[in-house]
Amino acid sequence: MDAPPARAGDEEDEEEGDEAGPEGALAKSPLQLTADDVYDISYVVGRELMALGSDPRVTQLQFKIVRVLEMLEALVSEGGLAAEELRLERDSLRREVAALRAARPAAGPEVNLGPDKMVVDLTDPNRPRFTLQELRDVLQERNKFKSQLLLVQEELQCYRSGLIPPREGPGGREKDVLVARTSSNKEERTIIRKLFSFRSGKQM
Amino acid sequence: MAKKTYDLLFKLLLIGDSGVGKTCVLFRFSDDAFNTTFISTIGIDFKIKTVELQGKKIKLQIWDTAGQERFHTITTSYYRGAMGIMLVYDITNGKSFENISKWLRNIDEHANEDVERMLLGNKCDMDDKRVVPKGKGEQIAREHGIRFFETSAKANINIEKAFLTLAEDILRKTPVKEPNSENVDISSGGGVTGWKSKCC
Repeated sequence: MDAPPARAGDEEDEEEGDEAGPEGALAKSPLQLTADDVYDISYVVGRELMALGSDPRVTQLQFKIVRVLEMLEALVSEGGLAAEELRLERDSLRREVAALRAARPAAGPEVNLGPDKMVVDLTDPNRPRFTLQELRDVLQERNKFKSQLLLVQEELQCYRSGLIPPREGPGGREKDVLVARTSSNKEERTIIRKLFSFRSGKQM
Repeated sequence: MAKKTYDLLFKLLLIGDSGVGKTCVLFRFSDDAFNTTFISTIGIDFKIKTVELQGKKIKLQIWDTAGQERFHTITTSYYRGAMGIMLVYDITNGKSFENISKWLRNIDEHANEDVERMLLGNKCDMDDKRVVPKGKGEQIAREHGIRFFETSAKANINIEKAFLTLAEDILRKTPVKEPNSENVDISSGGGVTGWKSKCC
C-alpha cells in the first residue's frame, strides 16, 4: 500500500541496482524492484542452478523458479506503471497548485466584493474622495458663505459711501454680523474642515 | 433706517450642455469680462448683479449650473426656486442643440410651472464654425413659445440684452408690492435660508 509514495520519494535511486552488479538486485527493497532487477535475479539464480548440474530434480525446480520469476516480473511491471501514472498525476497537481498560488494575489480582493462594490486605490490621485451628498453640502455651504460675504461687502460699501452714518449702526446690527461670523466659523469646522481634514492635519 | 439697495430679488438659472459657455455668459454680464480658459463648473455657483428696470432696482441672483451629467442630481434641485431660466446651446456644437429638448423636459419636471424661459445660441462670433443655423434656433423657440437670442460672451453680443429682457419678462408678471425681506436666499427649493441682513 505504501509502495507508490516510497518509490516517488527517491526516484533518483532507481538505477543504483545496475551499478552494484546483478547480485545488487537481491539486496534491494522489494518496493524498489524493477523489471530489470528481476532479469538480474533470474540471471544470478539461473547461473547457480546451472552449477548444480543436470539433475532432473534441479530441472523440475528450475521450471517452478522461472514461473515465480515471471510472476514477479508481471507484478513489478504493473507496479511500475501504476507508480508512473501516480507520478504524472502528482506533477500535474503540483503545476495546478503553483498556478493557483500565482493567480491568487491579483484576484484575491475581488472575491469578497458584492456586485455594486469597487476597490479604491488609495495611492491614485484621481480616486473618488467625497460622496455626492458631501459635495452637495459643501457647495451649499460655500454658496451660503458667498452670499454672506456679498452682503457684508454691500454693507461696508454703505458705510464707506456714507449712506449709513457710523453712529446709526448700533449694537444690534454689529451683533448680527458677529453672530453670523461665529456661527459660520463653527460650521466651517464641522463640514468643510471635516472633509479636508485628511489634508490639513492638525492645523486647526 | 437706511435706504434699501434694491426693490426686488429675481432668481435666474443658467442650464445647457457642458462647454456651451454658460459661465462665460454670466461672467460677461456680471463682470463685463471674458476668459478663454475652460474650467468646468463644479456643481453649482452663483453671481449677483443689480440692474435698474422701470425705476426699480432689481437684484438678480443668477445661478450657474454644471452642464456635466454627473452633477445632474445636484443641479436639478436648484430649478425649483428659479423665476427665470436661460437655456444655452453652442451654435458650433450640433449635439448641444439636439439636447435642447432634453433640457426643456428637465425644466418641465423640476421647475415652477410659471418659470420664464429663454433660449440662447451662444458663440455667435464663431460664424465660420457654425453648424446650427439661426433659423433653427428661432424655430424651436417659436415652437415652445419662448424668447431667443444669439449671443457671444466673447464679443459681448446680446448678453446684457438677454438678461435684461428676461428680467423685464419676470417683472411684468410680478405683482406690484413692497419687498418684505432683504435676504438673499441661497437655498435650493426652500431648504436652508441664508443669513438675513437688516442692512441697507
